[in-house]
Amino acid sequence: MFKKTLLLLALGFMTSANAEEMEVIGNVESKCVVVPDTAGVYGNPSPSILSSDPSDGGVDPIVRFDVIQASFYKARIVHPNSFSEAPSLNDVVNWTGDTATDQVSDANMSAYDAAKIEFDNVTEFDLTVAGSTWFKTESQADYGYGKAFPAGVYRAVVSAECIAI
Amino acid sequence: MLVYCSSSYSSEAVYGTSGNAASAGYNWVMSNIIPQQTGLTVNSVIYRYTTEKNTEDDMLVHVQNENARGPGYIFRETDDWSGLAGNTINKTVPVGMIDISYWGNGSIEVEGNGTVSDAGVYYSYQYIPCEDVQSDPTCPGYVDPTGAALVEQAIAVDTSSEEYIQAELDRKANMKAQKEEEEREERKEFAESKEQEVRNSLEVLLGLDLGASLQREQDTLLHNALVATNYLPQVYFEGINGGEYPETVKLRDANLPDNRKGLRVGLASELRHQQLVDLQYD
Repeated sequence: MFKKTLLLLALGFMTSANAEEMEVIGNVESKCVVVPDTAGVYGNPSPSILSSDPSDGGVDPIVRFDVIQASFYKARIVHPNSFSEAPSLNDVVNWTGDTATDQVSDANMSAYDAAKIEFDNVTEFDLTVAGSTWFKTESQADYGYGKAFPAGVYRAVVSAECIAI
Repeated sequence: MLVYCSSSYSSEAVYGTSGNAASAGYNWVMSNIIPQQTGLTVNSVIYRYTTEKNTEDDMLVHVQNENARGPGYIFRETDDWSGLAGNTINKTVPVGMIDISYWGNGSIEVEGNGTVSDAGVYYSYQYIPCEDVQSDPTCPGYVDPTGAALVEQAIAVDTSSEEYIQAELDRKANMKAQKEEEEREERKEFAESKEQEVRNSLEVLLGLDLGASLQREQDTLLHNALVATNYLPQVYFEGINGGEYPETVKLRDANLPDNRKGLRVGLASELRHQQLVDLQYD
């Protein structure tokens, strides 16, 4: 009889036991912000060339990177190697491009250009100084072998992203 | 040259940004850059410039403002371009609401090798309008130091009310009566002065220094004395019988002298005439 009672008590305790799961929430805001600053425009200095160079009648697109914490991020900017919108093209388009600092909020950012890494159509900058840096991307498209571009609207995309190191 | 740029107004403080302080050169006077408002504070300095230099050269660029209330600088930001390639810098430096009275002349100063071009320096500021009510006549509580406002307030009564119109009529009537009284007094004084003038002239002419009334009294006393002393002949007091008294005196002189008595009568007539003329004004 005593054993039965003890068992029942033990069962009673077991049924009243409970398990809870608590949630922990963390919110991380990026300490690197990418802001488009100036929209680019292609100039057409000759029938076979589209260029964003101001000397060719174009406007270089400019993007700004705001970094709150230094040495945690790198800027990756990809200049175009194809049109996102264009008339039908039946010949090869040769692309060239370059990205460099345009303005800096700290003189030490002026060293970014010397330390930048370039591969394919990608340029990477280690953002080692807190502050704002404006990057300018120049691109040029040459059509065929001195062939005139067909008339129409041409669009290309410059990609800029902030990547945690 | 004033280069105030933009400002926005809220219910309390006014926020604004100056124009480019370095637009006319790399030295500037702050009183020409930001509004001279009492209580104005500068919150931040925004500047931009481009350096041209060889990478290996040393170069320091100072953007600065002198301390107007002491030695040194109230703001000085230095960019060290030594060993760096030239570039364009675009910088915002918070300064923490420094009062306008501290902001002295500003400048961009270069040390080392290199040049600065395309510079722009802007000041972000804020102030509370009418913090000093005497700073602007439109401020509530402003007191005109010349007192013109009090005069305007006195003038600004209701001119259409009956009380005001009646008071104005009474005032004008009183002024008119007062003016007429003054004119009457002036005429009276003029008449008396003229009368006295004529009388004095007559007395001088007759060799008399005394007034006419005094002369009459003296004559009466003299007459009484003569009567009392029985000096006067008795015939003076006797009557003359009526009848014809033919002229017995024969005028022998050929030259007739002026009648001094007649002159005396003439002057008396002139005095009487003046009195009659003055009567028309009384």
